[in-house]
Amino acid sequence: MRATTRLPAFFLTLGLALLSREASAFEWELDVDGRLVSSNGQKSAMSGGLGELRFGESKSGVQLGRARLALSQPVGNVLALHLDASYWGDDDKSPVDVTEAYAEYRPYPIDGFRVRVRGGAFYAPISLENRAAGWESPYTLSSSAINNWIAEEVRTIGLETQAEWLGTRLGHSFDLSVVGAVYRWNDPIGGVLASKGFGISDRQTGLFGRVGMPGVAPLRGREPFHEIDGRTGYYGGLELRYLDRLTLRALHYDNRADPTAYDARLNDYAWQMKFDSAGARYESPGGWTLITQWLQGETYVDAPASEREWPFNARFFLISKRFGRHSLSARYDDFSIGFSINDFDLGEQTGHAWTLAYVAELTPNWRVTLEWVRVDSNLKPRSFYLGEAPGAIERGLQLAVRYAIGPGVR
Amino acid sequence: MRPGARKIFGFLTSIALSLRVVGAWADSLSVTVLKIDGKPLDGAVVLVHASGSQRSAAPVRAVMDQLNLAFVPDLLVVPAGSQVTFPNSDTVSHQIYSFSPAKRFQLPLYRGTAYPPVHFDVPGVVTLGCNIHDTMQAYIVVTDAPFFGRTDAKGVWLLADAPRGHYRIEVWHPRLREGDALMRELDLGDGAGGTIEIRLKHALRPAPLSGHPHSWDQY
Repeated sequence: MRATTRLPAFFLTLGLALLSREASAFEWELDVDGRLVSSNGQKSAMSGGLGELRFGESKSGVQLGRARLALSQPVGNVLALHLDASYWGDDDKSPVDVTEAYAEYRPYPIDGFRVRVRGGAFYAPISLENRAAGWESPYTLSSSAINNWIAEEVRTIGLETQAEWLGTRLGHSFDLSVVGAVYRWNDPIGGVLASKGFGISDRQTGLFGRVGMPGVAPLRGREPFHEIDGRTGYYGGLELRYLDRLTLRALHYDNRADPTAYDARLNDYAWQMKFDSAGARYESPGGWTLITQWLQGETYVDAPASEREWPFNARFFLISKRFGRHSLSARYDDFSIGFSINDFDLGEQTGHAWTLAYVAELTPNWRVTLEWVRVDSNLKPRSFYLGEAPGAIERGLQLAVRYAIGPGVR
Repeated sequence: MRPGARKIFGFLTSIALSLRVVGAWADSLSVTVLKIDGKPLDGAVVLVHASGSQRSAAPVRAVMDQLNLAFVPDLLVVPAGSQVTFPNSDTVSHQIYSFSPAKRFQLPLYRGTAYPPVHFDVPGVVTLGCNIHDTMQAYIVVTDAPFFGRTDAKGVWLLADAPRGHYRIEVWHPRLREGDALMRELDLGDGAGGTIEIRLKHALRPAPLSGHPHSWDQY
């Protein structure tokens, strides 16, 4: 059996296991998020364009933000199964798709030490803003350029181990954790970045989903979650927490791909991806939150007679102030992508973005968000593929109302 | 000494001793705990250890509930030998644990299921956590002291009837810096009462943040 066809069988089994367990501590959550959109943006990737917003001008009006079902089922005392499935209201390969599905082994701590093992498909511990259920940000609707890229084409499909020292349970002020993972099935990683660049959106790619429209260059409906070269990648990271005030994270990622490996069915190479990421989140007793993240790396393919390398980097700063159930947030994103072949209009991007958001978490069930985004981006593929000016200033205003039900709602 | 006089002297001595034991010449004790800036410290635990033959306080049955993904109360002081139940009033499951030397235990709490109480026999501070919800934290202070309590909003704890004797007063708070455990000794019984004022040498650790929605703690 091919590696790529083994995956659906795995998740089908996991899904059935989730549904067949007795209902004792079984938890579920169902969310529906509706949007009122006003945008002057270009067509988004899912509509066949190279816009950096989720909804371009043609999508102004009423839209579905997300319909999401999350299931969680403990198996015995220290093992739990999690499944997160979403429908995004656009023309994806499979309408309902899974963003995360994993089993977590989390034994009780011993003498201040705890080990946690996750197996399946899940997000690597990089984002400091996507901390809420469904990997959403409680501060804004749209993720930063860094975390939107992770949502688009980075997922760990493999095994992750985290070892924690719980100093705060021993009378100290710090907790420390070390994380390491091995994974496969993410070899096309970097292709979206090289074609569309960074964007500001809340769309997450499902494990069986695609980015872009089939047949429409340059994305052609890229499927990020496949194994091509049979090599195992890894990442290693650190997290330091000072009480519940400050969280610091750093992570090194290397998929160890063979950049010459080619899959004819996917018409894609294994992209050799290496990046480093770091971030800090500070929360004050007065309701202030400050978040910054930094990302730097490169992705590389070695097609015949054409070595191509895209170095990239991005950072953002977010400041948020909470007033009880209401919060105001502002974020500044800055990003750039280079390309190793100079006089060829592929890949290069420079840009920055401003995001302003007001969020009202009226009850655990109801959330209302108003968000304004402005992305100023110079993306060379726009002229190469679309014959348009590479530069664009896109603005989007969204009003979102989300309703959540189920025992899993916090 | 004549036999009769010895008898009387022995009788008087025994009265004096028994009065001392049962608490004649009882005295009051006031303990004030101040932060480094001189402001009162609310909720500090005061343990009054007696050096003599006084017995520790009688064991009790106490409750440490789980409500809205938090321990309620966030701190309990119980005499050694006490039993504490963990009823879980939440709709979600919890996995309570402690790896403190005074009591190591693991207790999975599924909703709607009653669990037998946990015995706390060894004096010391027991730090509680939940293996599912890492933001949950609470303390059970187990003590063999005959008298104990917590300071009020003015930083004061008052003991009205302390029998005559030599006492060791210990103050503890969850946010004390490492090594800031505080001890004082004093004698009570001359009727003048005892007053102790303790001022912390270090700033307290910051209080836990409160109020952000639980939905924020998923990743």
